Amino acid sequence: MTGPAILLLLAGLGAIAWVSARARALRLQTVARATGRRDAVHSLPGYHGWYVALWTLIPAGLFLAVWANVSPGLVTQAVLADPAAQSLPLDAFSRSAVLGEARAIATGLQSGAFNPASQALVEPYSAALNTYGVAGAVLALILAFAGGAYAFTRVRPDFRARTRVERLVMATLLVASLLAIVTTLGIVASLLWESFRFFSMVNPIDFLFGLKWSPQSAAMGYGNDDAFGAVPLFWGTIFIGAIIAMIVAIPLGLMSAVYLTQYASSTVRKWMKPILEVLAGVPTVVYGYFAALTVAPALRDLAVSVGIHGASSESALAAGLVMGVMIIPFVSSMADDSIAAVPQSMRDGSLAMGATTSETITRVLIPAALPGVVGGVLLAVSRAIGETMIVVMAAGLAANMTANPFASVTTVTTQIVQLLTGDQEFDSAKTLAAFALGLVLFIVTLLLNIVALRVVKKYREAYE
Amino acid sequence: MTAQRLPTDWKSDAMRKRIARRYGAERRFKLAGLAAVALSAAFLAFLLFTMMGNGLRGFTRTEIALTVDFPASPLLLDPNAITDEALANANLPMVTGEVAKKALGGDADALLSPTAWISIRDAIKADPKILSRTETIRVPASTAIDLAAKSKGSPEAEAEVARLKQQGVLSTGINWNFLTASDGTDPTQVGIWGAFKGSLLTMLVTLLLSFPVGVATALYLEEYAPKAWWTDIIEVSINNLAAVPSIIFGLLGLSIFLNFLHLPRSAALIGGMTLALMTMPVIVIAGRNAIKAVPPSIRDAALGIGASPVQVVFQHVLPLALPGILTGTIIGMARALGETAPLLMIGMRAFIATPPGGITDPATVLPVQIFLWSDEVSKGFVEKTSAAIIVLLVFLLAMNGLAIYLRNKFETRW
Amino acid sequence: MTQEQTDLTIANPKMSARDVKVFYGPKQAIKGVSIDVDMDHVTAFIGPSGCGKSTFLRTLNRMNDTVASARVEGEITLDGENIYAPTMDVVQLRARVGMVFQKPNPFPKSIYENIAYGPRIHGLAAGKADMDVIVEKSLRRAGLWDEVKDRLNDSGTALSGGQQQRLCIGRAIAVEPEVILMDEPCSALDPIATAKIEELIHELRGRYGIVIVTHNMQQAARVSQRTAFFHLGELVEYGVTSDIFTNPRQERTKDYITGRYG
Ligand SMILES: Nc1ncnc2c1ncn2[C@@H]1O[C@H](COP(=O)(O)OP(=O)(O)O)[C@@H](O)[C@H]1O
Ligand SMILES: [Mg+2]
Repeated sequence: MTGPAILLLLAGLGAIAWVSARARALRLQTVARATGRRDAVHSLPGYHGWYVALWTLIPAGLFLAVWANVSPGLVTQAVLADPAAQSLPLDAFSRSAVLGEARAIATGLQSGAFNPASQALVEPYSAALNTYGVAGAVLALILAFAGGAYAFTRVRPDFRARTRVERLVMATLLVASLLAIVTTLGIVASLLWESFRFFSMVNPIDFLFGLKWSPQSAAMGYGNDDAFGAVPLFWGTIFIGAIIAMIVAIPLGLMSAVYLTQYASSTVRKWMKPILEVLAGVPTVVYGYFAALTVAPALRDLAVSVGIHGASSESALAAGLVMGVMIIPFVSSMADDSIAAVPQSMRDGSLAMGATTSETITRVLIPAALPGVVGGVLLAVSRAIGETMIVVMAAGLAANMTANPFASVTTVTTQIVQLLTGDQEFDSAKTLAAFALGLVLFIVTLLLNIVALRVVKKYREAYE
Repeated sequence: MTAQRLPTDWKSDAMRKRIARRYGAERRFKLAGLAAVALSAAFLAFLLFTMMGNGLRGFTRTEIALTVDFPASPLLLDPNAITDEALANANLPMVTGEVAKKALGGDADALLSPTAWISIRDAIKADPKILSRTETIRVPASTAIDLAAKSKGSPEAEAEVARLKQQGVLSTGINWNFLTASDGTDPTQVGIWGAFKGSLLTMLVTLLLSFPVGVATALYLEEYAPKAWWTDIIEVSINNLAAVPSIIFGLLGLSIFLNFLHLPRSAALIGGMTLALMTMPVIVIAGRNAIKAVPPSIRDAALGIGASPVQVVFQHVLPLALPGILTGTIIGMARALGETAPLLMIGMRAFIATPPGGITDPATVLPVQIFLWSDEVSKGFVEKTSAAIIVLLVFLLAMNGLAIYLRNKFETRW
Repeated sequence: MTQEQTDLTIANPKMSARDVKVFYGPKQAIKGVSIDVDMDHVTAFIGPSGCGKSTFLRTLNRMNDTVASARVEGEITLDGENIYAPTMDVVQLRARVGMVFQKPNPFPKSIYENIAYGPRIHGLAAGKADMDVIVEKSLRRAGLWDEVKDRLNDSGTALSGGQQQRLCIGRAIAVEPEVILMDEPCSALDPIATAKIEELIHELRGRYGIVIVTHNMQQAARVSQRTAFFHLGELVEYGVTSDIFTNPRQERTKDYITGRYG
């Protein structure tokens, strides 16, 4: 029996359970009401329906979930016990290849075998699949019936079906919210585990403080020593994300926020704010393409025309500029919030002293909003250094330690992508290095965020 | 007490000059603000303009009217027995080359797209009777000709275009192929349907996973969670997940879903799961804000007439908060739709020439397709990349528009 | 008009308002008020809340310019010059007509910087030493010097409410204004701090023209020599403070000061 068919059947059973239990509860309750006692009836009939339906579905569903994971192993065992399996090759790899092919044919994914050995196994495979499929289906149906029947006997007028159903709902909600923790743990665990393996091959000191990054040479067998010095990557990341991008984003974002909140008419504000926000909604791959296609060549030509050496067609400046533009709305909305949080009385106080609007802004509002703005900038930096596509497409792969913005540098995220795409064996230092880089990135962005949120929160509290 | 100061002489020359200077600074400051806004908007306009300029051409293609004298051609087909198999065995690509050589002269192979024969096949399939006469069929031109005809190509191609123009066989048609085909090796034959379908399937998985979990989490945290250390941990986790760089989610997907659970590589299922982890916190945060906005009086009223806490939430709070939750969900989904980096990590960058049939088939998505095409050296891919970007932007715009519409329509003030 | 009451129209008033009307959008908040303010007396504006005292006060240094919907008609002069004339410079006007707000609003800067703010933007100090002199003098006049002279670099927001309000008065004094407008300066303060501010107003009288809005009639009686009673955007009665409180001419004034409404 196929999976979908069983699920459909179960759903049907659940529906029947719901309808019949509800009907029974309704009938019993009508009788009970007739006795006139107010507390004779507890839950609405619908809850009885749900109670029985859930008892029908959940045990059977859980069983099927377990069965789906266990049965392939059982099937394989059964096939291996078959006489036709005697001729199987002994090494694990070709053995599993043959088994895989036989399974593909037996389940209809593949029409003919390349390997005659697999063809011989198709027959036993289908038989085993069939046996275990039917067994699973029958067991599931038995469980469904048993669960439903047990619950059905409990349907009585004063049975607290609603309490039971609600307890399950609450449990579901709780489990859902625990998934956030599970995800966080998953990230931390996978990064730590793979990084741990990496650091068993490469000294963490060499990784964190080494000045030479050439994983390619490590892959070609020159050894892992001083091939994984990540400092050039850290520098490139900081250069692009924390320096060039911020030089673009902070003044433009801050001044945009100031203009839109303090000067612009409400019509201008109404139109310009969403337009600026569009900048944040453009996918990063589009920015990356734009940087690589339009901005980078223009910058290179510019650099060449004014005689700057080392200008490359992939430059830190192109990536940083475009990333800065992407970050503008981020900085501007944070600045907007912080300035709006400064009480109106500050502004009035300054204006009443005879200060002009710009004096009020630069001498009172911005200093007062500074913690909020700084927090926003930290968040923006954390966003910028974690950004991937723009740098992958426009910054290049050369691990240079240069302060020349027209030269090519590489970043942590670029290298993660580079290390994990293309041919890879999973256990090499080269691929594991990506996780170590990811771990560093994760820790740094996390710290930036925690500090930023602290700063912003403190600041908000100061004006409450 | 120090010496008495005289009242300021506001009318003095120095003071007047000083005030004039201050007003100058005020004007410059205001202008700087305006310039910042204008510069940001100009950049956006420039970006969109560039994409449009390059991309609109991607939706059209240059066609060459090929006059085919079927009876005289080396084609061996029985007009009464046109089957797919017969057509497949008729070696149409070769025949097309021969015919082109005769009709157009020169290096005909360089003029026509490698897929030109498909147009001829389709024409025969549509009307087998043409096999007995001479027929003019419009077939796609090669990338070089296409480029030269639309914008700027190599000198040789430009010369060929001039020659073809003189013959009057060049025309421009809509490139339907771009919307219906998948990835390919030649820019004239590629399309976005495969990537689009991949995006659709991926988004479906993302939505089905992140929406229920996100809403459930938001409800739990806002309505039931006790104030305890472990609910604090949930809160902190969600806020952190919302700020984790997307590529980290890709690493998670690679190490857990692929290497640990051995789920199928490059599949929409994994892409959707990875993006769901990213989208979930967005939905939770938006959901909590929407739920918070439902006034306590409504809860009190329902509780007051004897509803259970679960009934209150599902019958009263959730329906009122739903528009806000949906708005947040759409915005989260729009972000997921534009996401590239984490999907590269889990292998969705493979060359996929057939649209995925289901969520476990190898697939790619629109942004990744854009990334892949952007890497191609062939010049014909520039307009295809930009065209795909236009499609992506149109969808994002529509989604954000929908979110804004929902927000405005259902915005309630209590 | 009865004989005992003085005619308050003076020959050369410091500030003078003629038929002033203020609108917030379509809504009229001030309905034709004429009044003269001089340097020698403290003038108090009293009246029930929402009657337009603050609105009228804010027209005197054009703070209503900062409210987008506000519109002012009529004529207000400072030393005979129309302050709403295009030639009048707001920046200068506000330096000459200072303002103290209901809630103390020191800037989140040091005490020193709070006082130095005005002189700095208007360029009134010749150098650091000069600025030190101005700061000390202004703090002394605001009666705050002895309390803060050892912690001039502490934040102004760290002071107590009453000290903050005196800091704000000191801040206004630092630019040597001619008139100081105070909008319920004591309503956020405790009685001891209020007494200190009232004492300060006594000391400042004569050096600056002072207009104070208050909803507290005892306070008006204590600090002012002239009182104007506003009701529903109109100036109902304006006179010598003692006359207004002992012998009001208008029925509405009488009702108000005897507590019949307000
Ligand atoms: N910014 C404003 N916009 C619209 N109406 C206002 C504004 N400020 C004050 N008002 C209205 O003007 C009237 C007078 O207010 P106000 O001058 O503050 O009164 P008072 O200070 O005497 O209590 C009130 O009815 C008030 O609602
Ligand atoms: Mg008031």
